[in-house]
Amino acid sequence: MENYGNSTSVLVIGAGVAGIEASLLLANSGAKVYLVEKASYFGGNVIKWEEVFPNMECATCMIAPKQQELLQNENIKLLTLSQIEAVEGSVGDFSVKVKKKARYVDLENCIGCNECFEPCPVEVDNEFEEGLSKRKAIYIPCAGALPNAPIIDTDNCLRFKGEDCQLCQEACMFEAIDYTQQDEELQLNVGAIIVATGFKTFDLTQAPQYGYKKLNNVYSIVEVERICASNGPTEGQIVLQNGEAPKSVAIIHCVGREEKGYCSSVCCMASIKQAHFLKNKLPTVKVSQLYSDLCVPGRVYQKFYEEVKESGVDFIRATVSEVTQQGTGLAIKYKTEDGEENTLNVDMLILAPAIEPEIGSSKLAEVLAIPQDEYGFFSEEKPDLDSVGTSREGIFIAGCAQSPKDIPDTVAEAEATVGKILSLSR
Amino acid sequence: MAKKIGVYVCECGNNIADNVDIDRVIEAISPLRDVAVVEKHRLLCSEDGKEFLKQSIKDHELTHLVVAACSPKQHEHTFMSVCEAANFNPYLFQMANIREQCAWVTQDKEEATDKAIRQIAAAIARVAYHEALEKKDMDVSPDVLVIGGGIAGIKATQVLAAPDRKVYLVEKGSSLGGKVKGFDKLFTKMESGSVLIENELKKLQEDENIEVFTNSEVEQILGFFGNFEIKVVRKAANEELNFNVGAVVLATGFDLMDPKGLTQYGHGKLDDVYTSLEFEEMNFSTGKVLLKNGKPPESVAIIHCVGREDKGYCSKVCCMYSLKFARMLKAQLPKVKVSQLYSDLCIPGKAYQKFYEETKGLGVEFIRAEKTNVTQNGKGMTLKYESESGTKGDLAVDMVILVPAMEPSSDTDKFAEMLGIPMDDEGFPAQEHQKLAPVASSVEGIFVVGCAQGPKNISESIVQSEAAAGKILSSLVPGRKLELEVKTSEISETFCTGCKTCISVCPYSAISFDDFKKISVVNEALCHGCGVCAAACPSGAASVKNFAFTQIYQEVEALLK
Repeated sequence: MENYGNSTSVLVIGAGVAGIEASLLLANSGAKVYLVEKASYFGGNVIKWEEVFPNMECATCMIAPKQQELLQNENIKLLTLSQIEAVEGSVGDFSVKVKKKARYVDLENCIGCNECFEPCPVEVDNEFEEGLSKRKAIYIPCAGALPNAPIIDTDNCLRFKGEDCQLCQEACMFEAIDYTQQDEELQLNVGAIIVATGFKTFDLTQAPQYGYKKLNNVYSIVEVERICASNGPTEGQIVLQNGEAPKSVAIIHCVGREEKGYCSSVCCMASIKQAHFLKNKLPTVKVSQLYSDLCVPGRVYQKFYEEVKESGVDFIRATVSEVTQQGTGLAIKYKTEDGEENTLNVDMLILAPAIEPEIGSSKLAEVLAIPQDEYGFFSEEKPDLDSVGTSREGIFIAGCAQSPKDIPDTVAEAEATVGKILSLSR
Repeated sequence: MAKKIGVYVCECGNNIADNVDIDRVIEAISPLRDVAVVEKHRLLCSEDGKEFLKQSIKDHELTHLVVAACSPKQHEHTFMSVCEAANFNPYLFQMANIREQCAWVTQDKEEATDKAIRQIAAAIARVAYHEALEKKDMDVSPDVLVIGGGIAGIKATQVLAAPDRKVYLVEKGSSLGGKVKGFDKLFTKMESGSVLIENELKKLQEDENIEVFTNSEVEQILGFFGNFEIKVVRKAANEELNFNVGAVVLATGFDLMDPKGLTQYGHGKLDDVYTSLEFEEMNFSTGKVLLKNGKPPESVAIIHCVGREDKGYCSKVCCMYSLKFARMLKAQLPKVKVSQLYSDLCIPGKAYQKFYEETKGLGVEFIRAEKTNVTQNGKGMTLKYESESGTKGDLAVDMVILVPAMEPSSDTDKFAEMLGIPMDDEGFPAQEHQKLAPVASSVEGIFVVGCAQGPKNISESIVQSEAAAGKILSSLVPGRKLELEVKTSEISETFCTGCKTCISVCPYSAISFDDFKKISVVNEALCHGCGVCAAACPSGAASVKNFAFTQIYQEVEALLK
C-alpha cells in the first residue's frame, strides 16, 4: 500500500449525492477521481426531489453548487453513460475496465442551448419524469440536468433506425452533434473503489390491491415528487388526470414492506413532506396518511411531523385491504388496529414504496466480487464496526447501496469511505 | 496609471445574438469612461474564444476586464482561469449576465438590448474600482484533538492517526470505552460490548502516533481551523499540557434523560423500576437479572419513549435495545413474561425487522400504549395504560424497565459553548448544513460525531467518526498550506466605534474584539466573506473586499442611469 496517500486514484461508482460528496473530498485531498455514472446526467435520485425534509430546501438548488464544483475540479473525471465491466487486482492496484456509451453529442462543443430538440420529429415517454411527460429522441432529461448537454437515444432516433434524418445536426450551431461517435472502452488503474449506486423503489404493480397502473390518479411517491417539481411535467401544478386540483389525497405508507422484510427508513418522512407540500400548494386539500408505525428517527424529524399534523393532516393507523374506483374518485377500504372497518374516499392516492437496491446491483456485485445480503444490498464488512467496508479490501460502500437511509446518513457514509481510503496510507 | 478597460461581448452562438442587438450594445458601451476596447465573439467559452481573450488582454495591456456573456455560475470560473493564464489579476474582472438575465427573459429585442447595455455599463462602473486581490494561504497543523473516549472517539482516533499526523484523545473518566464498554450484549448479533471495546483499545495502544490522556479535561480551545491552541489539564498529575492541532472532533456522547420528574413511572420511588442503563449495569456487573428481593422476575414490562414528548424527538435506538432486553431476559429466564409498551415501532433500515420478528416469535408481547402509569400493588406493580385510540388496559408485573430519551451529554453543552457552536431547538450542536454536512459543526474545523450530534446506534456513530476523519484528511494534508477565502471582510480601524454588532451577527465567529484598541478585528482565516457584518455595521466600518460601498454604489448608479 506504498502508493497510497495523495497520489491515490479512486474509482467512484454512482454519481448521486454519496458519489459527489466522496469525489469532492477525495479530489480536494489531491487524489485523482474517476466518477462513473451510468445515466447521461449526474445527481442521482436527489435531483428528482422538489424539496427535501425537514427544512424544505429546494433539492436541486442544494446540490447544484456541489455539482458545479465537481465539474470544475480538475482532479475529477466524470464519466457519464458508463458502466463497470471488469475489475482485477487488489487494494492499491485495481485495474478496471469501463464501457462508455456514445452520447453522439460532443461535450466540448455543446453549450446546452437546446436548439436541437425542437426539430426532432420523435416523441417518447420521458423516463426521468416517470413517463408523465414526453421527450424527443435527442433530449436532456429535465431542465437543469448536468452536464448541460443532450444525448441521442439510439433506440428511438430515426437516423439510428435507418432513416435519413439529420434535423438535430442541422439545428446545432456548434457542430456538437456527431453521429459517428463510438462506444469506448476505458482502462483505469485505481487504488480503491467506492460503490455508491443508490436505490430504486419497489415495483408497485406487485401490490395489486392498491390499484397502481389500473386506477386513475394512483401515483407513486416518486411520480408525485415530479408532479410537485417546478421543472417537472406540470411545472409544479398538482393536478388530477382531468386537469383539476385534488380536493382530497391519501398517502399509504409501507407499500412493499411486508414483501421486502424491512423498514425503508425514509418513507414516513417523505410522506409527511409530501403532505406538507400539498397543504402548502393547495391549502384546502384534505390529506390523510394511512400508516402502521411512524418512524421519524433522530433529532430533527418529530418536530416536522408535529407541524404537519397541526396543519390538519389526518394520521390514521390502519391496514389497507383494497382500493377501488368510486365514480371519478377512489375508495380506500381499511381496518384499524381496534378492528374497525372503514372506507376513505379521495381524489388522489399516493403510494410510498419500499426502497430496493438499484437495478444492476447483482451484476456489479459479481464484477466487483463483493457479497450482497439477503435483500440484495451490498454487505458491509461488519454490521457494527465497519459498515462502509466490504469483504474485499479496498472496496467500500456508501449510501442506499448498503441499506435505505436519508441524505445526511448517506453523506456521512460517503465521507466515511473517504476517511478510510485516505487513512490506508499509514 | 490610466485605466484601460476591455469589454468582451459574447454572442453565445445565436443564444444572445438572436435577442440582443450586439452592434447597438457595442456602440453604446464604447464611449463609456475608461473603456479602451470593445469586441464581440461568437463563443467566448470555446477554446478559440479563450485564446482570443487571453491574447487580447495582453495585446491591449488591459487594466480591467468585463465579459458580457452567460451567468457567472456557468463561466466565471472559466474566465478567471483565462485571466490567470494571461498574468492578469482575476479580481480585476467582472462578468455581466446578458444571456439568462437579458436574452432569455424577454421576446422583445429592444428591451433585451437596453437591459444588456445597462448591465454592461454597471459592470464597467464597478470593475473600475476593483482591487487587485491576492490569494493567501497559511501553514496548518495536521494534528487532531479528539474529545471523548467512547466508541466514536476511539474510532476517530484510529482512522486519523498516522506517522505524519498525531492524534490526542482526551477522556475525562479514568478509562476509555464509554457506554458501550458496559453493555453485555449488542443488538442484533448479541455480541459483547466490552469485548468489542477491548479489541479496539488494543489497536490504539499499538499506535505510537496516538496520545491518550484519561482523567483529563480540555480546559481551553483557542484559535481557528488549521491552528487551534489546546490546553488540557491532567487531573491526577495536576499537570497542564499545551499543544496545537488543526481540527477538533467532539465525541462527548449522550446521557439519558432523568425520569424522576415523570412521576407516573415511579422511578426512584418503587423498588423494581429501572432505567435502561441501570438494567444494563445490573446485568453487566452481576450477570443476572434479579429483583430487589433477590428473586428473578416472573414478568417484566419495558416502557418505550419515556420523556419523548418533553424532548420533542425520537431517540432512534430505544426500540431496538428494548427488543434486545427482551432477548436477554428470555435467554436468562425462559419462562419470564416480557411486555413492550410502545406507541410506534421505529426499526429503520435493512437489519432490524427480522430481529423484531424473531423477538416477537419468542412470545414477547407488544402493547400499544401512549400513556402508562405505574403503581405498587402488593409485592409487584400494576401498569395502567391507554392507547391513542382510547383502549385501556391493566398489566401486573414485578419489574419495569424505563427507556428514557437520549440527550447530549453535559460536556457537549460545555464544549459547544466554549467553541461558539449554537445549539438547535432540540439541544444538539448546530451542523454546518442539516443535509449535506452532518458531522461538520457551524464552526470550521470542529466536528461533532456520535450521540453528541444526535441519538444514534453504534454503527452510525462509527460512520460519523470516519466521516469526520474523511473531512479532516481531505483538508488538512501534512505539508500543504490552507488556501484562504480571498473576498473577506475588513473593518476600518478609523471608522469602527467598537459597538460589537458585527461580532454578534458573524455566523463563522470570525470577528473578535481588540480590547486595547477597542475595535473589532476580522480573522481572515475564518471569514467566508458572507457580508453579514458589512450589512449590520452602523458606522460603515465593515466591508467585504470588492463588495465595498464604492463598488456597489458605482454599479447601482450605472444600472439606474
